[in-house]
Amino acid sequence: MARLEIMIEQLIANGIVYGCIIALAAIGLSLAYRILNFANFAHGEFLTLGAYFALFFAANLDLDFLPACLLAIAATAAFGVVLDLLAWKPMRSSGASRTAIMILSIGLSIAIRNGLIIFFQPDALRFPLPVSQGLDINGILVTSFQIAVVLIAFAAMLLVHSLLSRTALGKSMRALADNPNLARISGIDVDRVIRYTWAVSMGLAALAGIMFGSITHLNPNMGWSIILPMFAAAILGGIGNAYGAMAGGMIIGITQELSTAILPAEYKIAVSFLIMIAVLLFRPRGLMGGS
Amino acid sequence: MLDYLVSIVLTAGIYAIFALGLNLQWGYAGLLNFGHVSFMALGAYTTVLLGMHGVPLPLAVLAGMLLAGASGAFLGMATLRLREDYLAIVTIGFSEIIRFLLLNWSSLTKGSFGLFGYPRPGENLVGAMDYNLFLACLVIGVLALVYALLELLARSPWGRVLKSIRDDEAVSMALGKNSFYYKVQCLALGSAIAALSGSLLAFYLQYINPNNFLPLETFYAWIMVILGGSGNNRGTILGAFLLWGFFSGTRFLEGYLSFSPSATSAARMVIIGLILIGLMMFRPQGLLGDKEELAIGR
Repeated sequence: MARLEIMIEQLIANGIVYGCIIALAAIGLSLAYRILNFANFAHGEFLTLGAYFALFFAANLDLDFLPACLLAIAATAAFGVVLDLLAWKPMRSSGASRTAIMILSIGLSIAIRNGLIIFFQPDALRFPLPVSQGLDINGILVTSFQIAVVLIAFAAMLLVHSLLSRTALGKSMRALADNPNLARISGIDVDRVIRYTWAVSMGLAALAGIMFGSITHLNPNMGWSIILPMFAAAILGGIGNAYGAMAGGMIIGITQELSTAILPAEYKIAVSFLIMIAVLLFRPRGLMGGS
Repeated sequence: MLDYLVSIVLTAGIYAIFALGLNLQWGYAGLLNFGHVSFMALGAYTTVLLGMHGVPLPLAVLAGMLLAGASGAFLGMATLRLREDYLAIVTIGFSEIIRFLLLNWSSLTKGSFGLFGYPRPGENLVGAMDYNLFLACLVIGVLALVYALLELLARSPWGRVLKSIRDDEAVSMALGKNSFYYKVQCLALGSAIAALSGSLLAFYLQYINPNNFLPLETFYAWIMVILGGSGNNRGTILGAFLLWGFFSGTRFLEGYLSFSPSATSAARMVIIGLILIGLMMFRPQGLLGDKEELAIGR
């Protein structure tokens, strides 16, 4: 009996780590959905991009891993602003519909994923990190990286919370989400707020991608491979609701890991899908109410 | 030369049928099906598995279409009362799930090993030499049939209601049309057409494995539909042949470039992605498209 308990606790611990990554990714997805008003199918590639930026900077600029990660997050956020100027903004101002913008995001996702295959080969790569130390907490095995992932993710979520609730930018973001026209006539620079939204959304995606890469490995498909749990988390929390995305991510992460106690591990991802369908059928606005 | 022509007709023709199913959903009704390939996979695997167990092939094909249609209807019922992006999210997820199932349900599907040596229609009547020619004629016949059916539907009251829903759902609801059921029917029919193309693909390839049904295949269909002009069936068929031309053209160029095979196919995909981006930014109505027929509004 004790062994079963330990196994369950171990799965929950793994689920929390995985859930943190999904949650960070889902916050960015949900923010973009709320403020830009479309489901961004290229979000997975932004995770991948962040991870590969970190690898590239660490290898080619002779940086330590941490500064390389910070630079990678900044670079991904900057890429988000450039993308807005090159693609999303022209689409907005030409009055393109939401569906056209979503199809564009699919094209972007295909182009980035395969661009990375050209530059980095399709093979799995690893960050230049030492082998992480294993710790035994009452029979539950965790690595130092996993603990770092959880701590950093919670710090990032706190930061997002204070950004949304305490700063003028956060207020403008919420105003824009609630009523774009009202926000515009009350003097909010809409394009500027949108650029910041992209920067925050993609910076969080880069962080999630780096975390995902450091506890597993990097490959050009990594972000795409978790797009389903990301959307499931965002929908479960109520799409458009950043706090819901955090909770949704944790629930999805823990449920997926727990499911491996009774199902073959290959079917983990199907659990996200079932949760998503169940939420859409019975509670489409999500647990915490979305837009 | 004839062999070459036959292979064009087979590949482009099968993909044209596949894309026509999507055009019904997207071009007529504005439904965002981002997992079209899953219905093709369902059709291919159902037909092959039933065929291997001795079920007559016409029945096996029909069973694939029914299964795909029912799955499409189910996904539609879960999402079509909500905003249009939910269907996109759920179908893209469904196409990943189906591929995972095919990969991991080894006792049934042999996983990544794939299935081969299954019965094909008319194998006893036609010699192995002429088989592809026979199959090409069958594909043209099916393509013509599907095309005729869709054109007929477009002009029928049913098709007109669909287009009115696409253009302004509130108006058609006010006229007493239950737009939800029209959309579910449309999704089911388009998915069944995708399953039919999947059965034909399986007959042509003689070997199927889950990697024939990557999510990317869905977006080939999207490019075919959008290139030809959404809502335009002839345009969709033209789009299928254009995309086929792009693939064989780049394959021809491969001989002159010294890229690794993975880099060449990735470069091709980058171009596919850029075509989608470019079409959305500069010519959302496609080559033959009519702006008035455009589901992605003004």
